[in-house]
Amino acid sequence: MTRKKLVVIGAGMASGRALEHLFDADPDGWDVTLFNAEPRGNYNRIMLSPVLSGEKSYGEIVIHDDDWYADHRVTCRFGERVLAVDRAARTVTGETGTVAYDKLLIATGSNPFMIPLPGHDLDGVIAYRDLEDTNRMIDAAATPGARAVVIGGGLLGLEAAAGLRLRGMEVTVVHLMGHLMDRQLDEAAGYLLRKDLEGRGIDVRVSANSKEILGENGKVKALVLEDGTELPCDLLVMAVGIRPNTALAAEAGLAVGRGIHVDDQMITSDEHILSVGECIEHDGAVFGLVAPLYDQAKVAAATLTGTEAAFKPRELSTKLKVTGCDLFSAGDFAEGDGREDIVYRDPARGVYKRLVIEADRLIGAVMYGDTADSNWFFGLIQSGEDISAMRETLIFGPAYQGGPDADPLSAVAALPRDAEICGCNGICKGTITDAIAGGATDLGAVRAQTKASASCGTCTGLVEQLLQVTLGDDFEAPTAQPICACCDLSHEDVRRLIKGRELKSQEAVWQELGWKTRNGCHVCRPAVNFYLLADWPLEYRDDPQSRFVNERKHANIQKDGTFSVVPRMWGGITSAAELRAIADAAEKYNVPTVKVTGGQRIDLLGVRGEDLPAIWDDLGKAGLVSGHAYSKGLRTVKTCVGTDHCRFGTQDSTGLGIKLEQILWGSWTPHKVKLAVSGCPRNCAEATCKDVGIVCVDSGYQVGIGGAAGMDVKETERLVDVATEAEAIEWTTAFIQLYRENAKYLDRPYKWIAKVGLDWVKETLASADERARLVEAFELSQSIYRKDPWAEHAKQAERYQPLADLTLEAAE
Amino acid sequence: MTAPVKESPAMDAIPETTSDTFIQVCEVWVPENDRLVLADGNYNGLAAFEETSRKTSFAKGEGLPGKAWDEARPVVLKGFDGSYFRRIEAAKEAGLTSAVAVPVFAGATLRAVLVVLCGDDDTRIGAIEVWTEDRSGMLMLDDGYYGAAEEFAFVSQHTHFPKGQGLPGGVWAAQAPILMRDLGSGYRFIRASAAGKAGLTTGLGLPVSTPTLQPYVLTLLSARGTPIARRFEIWDARAARDGRAILSDGICEREGPLWRDDGDGTRGEAPTAVAWKGMVGQVLGSGLPVAAQGGSGLPADYTSFVGLPVYRGETLTHIVAWYN
Repeated sequence: MTRKKLVVIGAGMASGRALEHLFDADPDGWDVTLFNAEPRGNYNRIMLSPVLSGEKSYGEIVIHDDDWYADHRVTCRFGERVLAVDRAARTVTGETGTVAYDKLLIATGSNPFMIPLPGHDLDGVIAYRDLEDTNRMIDAAATPGARAVVIGGGLLGLEAAAGLRLRGMEVTVVHLMGHLMDRQLDEAAGYLLRKDLEGRGIDVRVSANSKEILGENGKVKALVLEDGTELPCDLLVMAVGIRPNTALAAEAGLAVGRGIHVDDQMITSDEHILSVGECIEHDGAVFGLVAPLYDQAKVAAATLTGTEAAFKPRELSTKLKVTGCDLFSAGDFAEGDGREDIVYRDPARGVYKRLVIEADRLIGAVMYGDTADSNWFFGLIQSGEDISAMRETLIFGPAYQGGPDADPLSAVAALPRDAEICGCNGICKGTITDAIAGGATDLGAVRAQTKASASCGTCTGLVEQLLQVTLGDDFEAPTAQPICACCDLSHEDVRRLIKGRELKSQEAVWQELGWKTRNGCHVCRPAVNFYLLADWPLEYRDDPQSRFVNERKHANIQKDGTFSVVPRMWGGITSAAELRAIADAAEKYNVPTVKVTGGQRIDLLGVRGEDLPAIWDDLGKAGLVSGHAYSKGLRTVKTCVGTDHCRFGTQDSTGLGIKLEQILWGSWTPHKVKLAVSGCPRNCAEATCKDVGIVCVDSGYQVGIGGAAGMDVKETERLVDVATEAEAIEWTTAFIQLYRENAKYLDRPYKWIAKVGLDWVKETLASADERARLVEAFELSQSIYRKDPWAEHAKQAERYQPLADLTLEAAE
Repeated sequence: MTAPVKESPAMDAIPETTSDTFIQVCEVWVPENDRLVLADGNYNGLAAFEETSRKTSFAKGEGLPGKAWDEARPVVLKGFDGSYFRRIEAAKEAGLTSAVAVPVFAGATLRAVLVVLCGDDDTRIGAIEVWTEDRSGMLMLDDGYYGAAEEFAFVSQHTHFPKGQGLPGGVWAAQAPILMRDLGSGYRFIRASAAGKAGLTTGLGLPVSTPTLQPYVLTLLSARGTPIARRFEIWDARAARDGRAILSDGICEREGPLWRDDGDGTRGEAPTAVAWKGMVGQVLGSGLPVAAQGGSGLPADYTSFVGLPVYRGETLTHIVAWYN
């Protein structure tokens, strides 16, 4: 029998698997010639990372050794580049000669993408693709004091970073996007991964754009980021993606797009040429993970042997090969209409699981820290079966699927006695249920006896469920109100934990405090956003997407979709020039209503959304800044004319009002804050119904707090009497900061004072040291926030596009 | 310049077949009525020492196993004369001179103490080390037994590992066992070249959970001539709520690599152990160490087995096993 001639270009995993299938199906039908540019045969390239880390040897990852090739009579031309494919003559020419084919299989794989940064061709700048790259990294790691920078926080980059770290290098990962492995993980899992890697001593920089690679004597010396940060390194690994290697196919005249075009049978535009692996493009898709490559290999072998088969892309899953980093992701977990998240977090164990459901089917899953059920979830995604019957207990995995009657309580009931409930104190279920059986019938008693839920408190919900399971109707859930259904913690607990556990990002809060939703809701997100920026002004930056629509737009939206614009008038003082600018703006932008407000300034009502940046720009040129008439922050400082003009004035109330406003403006507070300064007890500025109201008297200043004149009407209560203006400013600033640090979000000062007690506020502020600390903390925060948001937006005026629907209030 | 990864398809990092091993005796002591009694033992033909051991029990704080229990940490004892070791005469007759006791805690509860005993001579090379955190937040050697690898012992005493670096630092950071293949090259540490000179190749490291917050990492470093074992396995038991564990890593002198990884994150092809079935299954089912000799259930041509459960808090997360 005459053997057919098969030439294979590329001895990677895809072609290797195709040959295995081919020899299985038709052991004696083919004479195979195998070209490979690398001087070796097929090895498990995806296991190079454990080789780099030292957790595997190269010998272990060889798939086909010399004996295998000999047994299958494969002519190996390893280390030999293919120069040309002559499709008419059906020959392949390599560096040492030409060989004819009946069928040709092109499996040239992909090339790593190198960012063309200045300096990318320096010695020591490498990709991470093959054994040579791996060996270079191992060599570099053995150099005492050597540093590495890895550009790319995807699978390959992180595996390289962990391997280099294990071998003793100081390693920095630079990632362009906001969280690691952004293509495979959501922000929550990305947060845990970053925390895990940082725990290994790896420096992680996200949202970091590389600018230039510096060298010395032709060798890499440092990476410079866009923000000017210089990261010294002796090795720079670029792991930012791959591109199909199509050069040879293109030169041969095959149809090539992003990859080599193939049909469902893996046949290229030439019927005698097949292609598989990372070099192909099938139905517009290119491939980088091994599972579809193996499917392609099977189809290619079937096509070669004349068997019917068709390649069909399937759902993919991802695993990071870093020991101890247990993550899994599969399917589609992007947000979308009609999609619903199920989220489970166990902060103590660093576990996060998120399932995405659409039309009663599991379409995506992301897990970190506990991937034990990943196969089961992956199976559900692939099968697309209806999961509505197990919707309530799905997140607990297959062990807890008890049929239609199953509920979350039964899942807790089904936990074994040694299941850890309180990770902080290492308390298992058996210990807690024993305590309950022994008479601990409420949360406090369980805490006292077992220490469960006594530390971070995030297992409180589980402990209460155990009380419920054990005591049944005898257990009454406590009445403390959580922020919302996303968590079990009150505002006060969240504030305490953000401070105490130094949580400095939203993802840290969601994960470490056991949020039940992916990223909060319209109730908790604005609150958490405020708590974070109030406690960590330098580390955390305000997230506009977590703000109410007026704060996002820096203007108050009106019922007809237009906006109101209120420039700030310091202490209610204005000038002819400012008034002229306001008048000009009103005319220029056809503002239908111009109104004087109760806070002593002018409101331009009816401004169209698309005009906002331009009107801000015009007002800004006249020195007018945002009046923050829309924010949970300082609104106005109302004043009377004081000693400058009034016969009864005792102090310079206008001057004090202006000073206070210039200190406090731009700051975010739990709710809006209004101030007033009256020059005498006649109180023309109505200071005694403000959040902070100062009444000037002959002997100095009476500082009152906690007034209200809205839904509730309340007179201020005296905080302190001081002799000097400087003291009045100090006390007021310290009070505002105390309110910022302690109040529940959306509590006006009077409500907050009612909760903590005026005496506590007075006692706290009576300490000069504490006042000084508060003022200093306020100033630190204001170093970030004391600026005009209108001016920033006006800069982008030319690029400004109105939102499609300005009435959407995502954060609400 | 270090030796790069070699391209030999053979498992260059795996010790060659030998007849002598670094560890002579393995024992499992379990608490019973406030005392530790012998549950399992692999005595390597040292019948008299076995007989003495079977007649012995330890109170908390008594002897080597009792000390590991009392102090809730792995304990290394080099030289028995004049020590708190209780079986000095029997050990001397058996040629045993050093021992390491590893307590196995599930949360605050002692489940067992694994004791390994070694004979001292000029030829046995290997290392059993205990690492713990020092005041500067680095891992330092708490104690170790090295046989004749004196230079390596000296270097190790003067080496510190940050989190994530080297075998001890890697285990500490990962909170999981790690099996390393070629300790002698490609690492920044001076200890690596010392390991290479001593012939130490394969390293198994595992976290030792105790009721205290102090971290402990146990490392077993195996040399070609006198290997600690000729087959090492790491089983991931975190899926054990359905009574199963999967083989996450393993190398065998005879069978080569034991791990399977199809690269899609599911490990669908990985060997699986089921509770109470086979040796690993005994560890998985009981949550206790197992030291067995002969009998069925071992891979072909292996005669002894040691399986050690690894806990995190009260949860059994991994099983490490070694065979000779």
